[in-house]
Amino acid sequence: MASLYRKSLWVFHLNTGSCNGCDIEVLNAFTPAQDAERFGVKLVGSPRHADAIALTGPITREALPRVIRALQAVPEPKIVVAIGSCACGGGIWHDGYSVLGGVEKLYEILEKKGIKRPITVFVPGCPPKPEAILYGILLARGMVKQKQKGRIYVESESAELMINKDLIESVKEQVMSSKISRKHVEQITSIVR
Amino acid sequence: MNRLRILLQNIKKGVVTEKYPLEPIRVPESFRGKPVINIDKCVGCGACVNACPPNALTLEEDLDEGIRYIKLFIGRCIYCGRCEEVCPFDAIHLTKEFELATTSKDDLYQIVGLRMYKCPICGKPYTTIRLVKKVIDKLPPEERPLVLICPDCREKITAANRSFARR
Repeated sequence: MASLYRKSLWVFHLNTGSCNGCDIEVLNAFTPAQDAERFGVKLVGSPRHADAIALTGPITREALPRVIRALQAVPEPKIVVAIGSCACGGGIWHDGYSVLGGVEKLYEILEKKGIKRPITVFVPGCPPKPEAILYGILLARGMVKQKQKGRIYVESESAELMINKDLIESVKEQVMSSKISRKHVEQITSIVR
Repeated sequence: MNRLRILLQNIKKGVVTEKYPLEPIRVPESFRGKPVINIDKCVGCGACVNACPPNALTLEEDLDEGIRYIKLFIGRCIYCGRCEEVCPFDAIHLTKEFELATTSKDDLYQIVGLRMYKCPICGKPYTTIRLVKKVIDKLPPEERPLVLICPDCREKITAANRSFARR
């Protein structure tokens, strides 16, 4: 990916029904304090001039046809920078009726229409800091390394030793051998199984 | 004259642009960044799952394997910090980490899988071993059987006892 974009990356800012929190942070990234333009990143007015799309918002149904048209207009190879929780995974609206809920759902629709899935950079945050957006765009350019890694931990089977076996056995004995409920419990276990 | 004054002011002030990607940046003291689950402390009670407004934290149970998964999808997190507030064991914390951009969605997941405790009577897993252990340590010995039997069996045993007592 880095080899594709050695030169300046021009970005088209596409709001797909966002609350404007992320949009303001995108604009902040281009102010003198963060100054994304020193890396050649520039906001452009038309998707036809852009290399990347800075996509904010959960993609409302109303916006969907325009989003698809804008994505089609960007020349290949293109990058989508999904900015904010809404664009990454739907955010607080993920199960709403009026939104698609994230770019992954958008790509499913694009694939049905025969449009190739673009390279995507996810920038989570609600809203992300301007620095985080800058980091995401530079990750697309290959200037910084990815820090976030997925993590899966599954407890080993030896966890069963944490509870005293004798205690469990004694409870079982107690229930099974008590004169009052033994017969009933046997009936119950047969029903449960 | 006025322009000259502005020029002098700017020269005195120097460059305002941060050198951010080249140098690390400081974040405010109260900044809420990426949530991290402490795998040693988490017992899988699901308090954070109930509190999470956008369902970034979800609880899934694999009853055949007997494992309960707490899944944290950072791509949906809104960094409200409620999980940190409600966690009874201080197992989840919001760090100051904000450089979370990834090129694949899988890197945004944190999954914790905990073994489940099986009821000695019906053999059905119903809660995590760690949670049972925590509760047992706190209860007096005569009340421990209440925890070690699953709620369904407990209900039926109580019903059986009562029906017998009536006769």
